[in-house]
Amino acid sequence: MLLRYIGRRVAVSIVQLLGLVVVVFFLIRLMPADPVARLVGLNASKEAYAQASHSLGLDQPLLTQFLQYFGLDGRGGGLLEGHLGVSWVTNGSVLTEIGQTLPVTIQLLTLSFIITLLIAVPVGIAGASRPGGAFDRGVFVYGLFGGSQPEFWWGLMFIFVFFFKLGIAPAPLGLVNPMDMPSEPITGFILLDSLLRGEFDVFLDVLWHLALPTLTLVFILSGPIIKMVRQNMVRALGSDFVLYARAAGLRESTVTRYAFRIALAPALTLVGILYGVMLGGAVLVETVFSLGGIGQYAVRAVLAFDYPAIQGVVLVITSISLGIYLVLDLVYAVIDPRVARS
Amino acid sequence: MTMPLDATRQAPASAGQSREADLAPAILEASGLTVGYGAPPPIVAGFDLTIRRGEFVGLLGESGCGKSTAAYALLGLARPPGRISAGRVAFKGQDLLTMPAARQREIRGKHIGLIVQNPRGALNPMLRVGRQIGNVWRAHNAGSATRAEEHAVEMLKLVGINDPKRRTEAFAHELSGGMAQRVLIAIALSSTPELLIADEPTSGLDVTIQAQLLDQMWQSTRRTHSSVLLITQETGIVANYCDRVLVMREGRIVEDMTAAAYRRAPRRSLLGAGNKAKTLATPGEDDQAAPVLAVDHVSRFFPVPGSTKRVQAVSDVSFDIAAGETLGLVGESGSGKTTVGRCLLRLIEPSEGRVLYRGEPLNTLGKTGMRRIRSKLQIVLQDPYDSLDPRWSILQTLSEPLKLHTDLSGAGRAKRVEELLAQVDLPKTVAALRPRDLGSGALQRINIARALACAPDFIVLDEPTSVLAPAARTSLVELLLRLQAELGVSFLFISHDLTTVSQICHRIAVMYLSQVVEVGTTEQVFRDPQHPYTRALLASHLDPHPEERRVDRAVQERLAGEIPSPIDLPKGCYLQSRCPHAVERCATEPQKLVRAADGRMLRCWRVLADELGGSDIPLVHDA
Ligand SMILES: Nc1ncnc2c1ncn2[C@@H]1O[C@H](COP(=O)(O)OP(=O)(O)OP(=O)(O)O)[C@@H](O)[C@H]1O
Ligand code: SF4
Ligand SMILES: [Mg+2]
Repeated sequence: MLLRYIGRRVAVSIVQLLGLVVVVFFLIRLMPADPVARLVGLNASKEAYAQASHSLGLDQPLLTQFLQYFGLDGRGGGLLEGHLGVSWVTNGSVLTEIGQTLPVTIQLLTLSFIITLLIAVPVGIAGASRPGGAFDRGVFVYGLFGGSQPEFWWGLMFIFVFFFKLGIAPAPLGLVNPMDMPSEPITGFILLDSLLRGEFDVFLDVLWHLALPTLTLVFILSGPIIKMVRQNMVRALGSDFVLYARAAGLRESTVTRYAFRIALAPALTLVGILYGVMLGGAVLVETVFSLGGIGQYAVRAVLAFDYPAIQGVVLVITSISLGIYLVLDLVYAVIDPRVARS
Repeated sequence: MTMPLDATRQAPASAGQSREADLAPAILEASGLTVGYGAPPPIVAGFDLTIRRGEFVGLLGESGCGKSTAAYALLGLARPPGRISAGRVAFKGQDLLTMPAARQREIRGKHIGLIVQNPRGALNPMLRVGRQIGNVWRAHNAGSATRAEEHAVEMLKLVGINDPKRRTEAFAHELSGGMAQRVLIAIALSSTPELLIADEPTSGLDVTIQAQLLDQMWQSTRRTHSSVLLITQETGIVANYCDRVLVMREGRIVEDMTAAAYRRAPRRSLLGAGNKAKTLATPGEDDQAAPVLAVDHVSRFFPVPGSTKRVQAVSDVSFDIAAGETLGLVGESGSGKTTVGRCLLRLIEPSEGRVLYRGEPLNTLGKTGMRRIRSKLQIVLQDPYDSLDPRWSILQTLSEPLKLHTDLSGAGRAKRVEELLAQVDLPKTVAALRPRDLGSGALQRINIARALACAPDFIVLDEPTSVLAPAARTSLVELLLRLQAELGVSFLFISHDLTTVSQICHRIAVMYLSQVVEVGTTEQVFRDPQHPYTRALLASHLDPHPEERRVDRAVQERLAGEIPSPIDLPKGCYLQSRCPHAVERCATEPQKLVRAADGRMLRCWRVLADELGGSDIPLVHDA
């Protein structure tokens, strides 16, 4: 039953993804842009231009390019076999490049979201327990304050205070000390790899480097998530079954648990959506701290009209988002039995 | 109902009872209790009451007078943003509102149990009900989780749930309203409270289930000598279960009398006061004439989406309606009444059987033929708001059928609308208004006026009074009686409100689970019900009786269990799983509607073979 549901969802997701790739493929080629000129420079000779155009395959008819990209032209090595192509700018495999940048972002986001939730859930619940109380109003002001400035601004502020003034944070120059030789990645997630190798000093060092970017993201994310938890909690606490639970003399902790379970589902949706958005949208923070994440990679690809890289990024980010939504739906079904039936 | 306070206090028969109650110590006392939701005025304002040990107190009040708010306030609770702003509640002399929270919590649920109006909403939608019952029990009693689970099963068994073990695994949304209500009763009674507050515990339930539940509640609280505060809008419930009656209006108690005095206060009852004979017009006695409408073995089923099964909404229903006659169609919700009404007008096509209008089968008629007849056959629905377009003025609403079916000019239509409004006792100024400007009583009159627009022969009235307040209900019944006397229309009056049915109908058809089980004159059905279902239905009807309460007499005609699903119908007699008279043969032999010696139609072989004897329901009485 459950497996069939998951299977169906995955199948639908794959169809959605393929459709998206097709659309993106043609859309970027319809843009009034000239990637060849961008590559060889405006002063390049006609021959150099033609040669570059040929080597990129852009002199072929659109349909041929399309078949080639998908690996349907008989030569193989296309998308359907898992190849995302070669970057026009770096000549490296797009898949490998994404494999290097994506873990950086996922690591940052996951850490930030975990910390945000650890803060936002109790704070939201506490605010909801006495709506309009001093604590609740304080949280409201914090949300306004945190959300009113863009994240790169907060990032710069934190660098200024913690690095320049106090000197307790590392320079915003990536995740590892630039002097250290990075070891061969195992999973690509540096934190995980260092633990797997048992290099605890590296682990702590990376955490130290992650502190400010994480702080910045937590600062930005906690406002809306606290607000969401609080609002859902207020609604849940005002519902019939919570009032009845009080009337039945249940302990306050049980009553809170009852309400929280109801409030959780919509808050999780927001978290899932935010996560998907931040995958591509953490670019400002990545840039400020020179982390080299997928957001930065995407921006570079777009600016250089690097079509294979753009397509690859869109494909990967969308599949992760779809995966998150699937997981959310499953989590939903676990916490709310009414969903499982329908 | 509006007896002055002091007069009832002096009523001799009540003296003994009330003195006895006076001696018992007070369990709960409230004084000056005031609850508001922010903006004034407060919803509960200066509410005083005293409940003594072992008393069964009824609290009557109309919708919106603050009953539910008061019920929670008696536990020191208010739904946010509401707040208890003044007053005192004392439980056995201790002030409930000022005591420490821990002690408060102990009293709630352990010493005072609460049952509320909307049981499915009061249950946690995410937890199995067994867990919820267990959680409440464990909040007040020392015991392991396993013990709590066992206790939950015991409690569900106690409140009459079949297969309690399996039901503990259910979620609230999987339960019927009646079952959810039983779960709430189980929660409320799980720690044997000294006081049970029940806020409209049976609103929205069918009458036979209502009677089952209230009987059970009465029995379990008598067994433990608990006191009960039963909050309701229905006078019948109060009159049949309570020792003392309080009346609440605009947030405070305005009357306090013994139940005996309350029952003797004059009011309407089944077949009561002979007013029926005066106002109910006799239909044409001419037996030769074809009936206005004849229903001939009509069935209707609906496919169940995603399954090969089907819902049997109507099975093999037959009856006639004569000119100027009202046939009542009664039965519990889901029994198929509405579907029958719609099949009559071909708003739903019957799956089998036919409907004849003045001898002409409707199912063979084409579009034009049906249009000609449609103006003669009309329908009025339950919810007056739903059936009117909110953007149209009343004039537009009432002109529409005239445009469709007559060739009156604009002025002619306006004149006819005026006539129609006069017919339903509304001033002609109403024509300019829109539905939102009118109350539900007036709107239902507009619906009736619209049905009358093209001088129909026959109107289906589908629960036309069920959303109306009692006063509006009475005047609508009077209007219908008058219209029938003046215009000679026939009605099919669909309702589960037996009091109204008894006032307005000449004959009655009783439906149970898609079948008609008994058809007879109102006199036959109400004075001497024969089919076991009809007997139980009437025995469940909580009409105030001047001398005795339901709980004071032995009621035998009581059904067991829940109504089966119309998807998996029983094999033999459809009532067999709930019938107190069922024998082996009933389980295998499908029952047919057969004419009995006294002219009525019955669907029970045991009654027809005279195996059951007379009904022993001292229900119908001449007040
Ligand atoms: N949360 C709330 N906020 C504002 N007003 C409310 C709230 N709950 C109830 N009310 C109002 O308080 C009044 C009394 O409500 P309450 O539910 O106590 O009445 P009731 O007598 O139990 O009615 P019913 O018979 O329909 O159940 C109504 O006018 C209702 O609209
Ligand atoms: S046929 Fe049997 S089960 Fe059915 S109503 Fe009659 S006695 Fe009851
Ligand atoms: Mg109420």
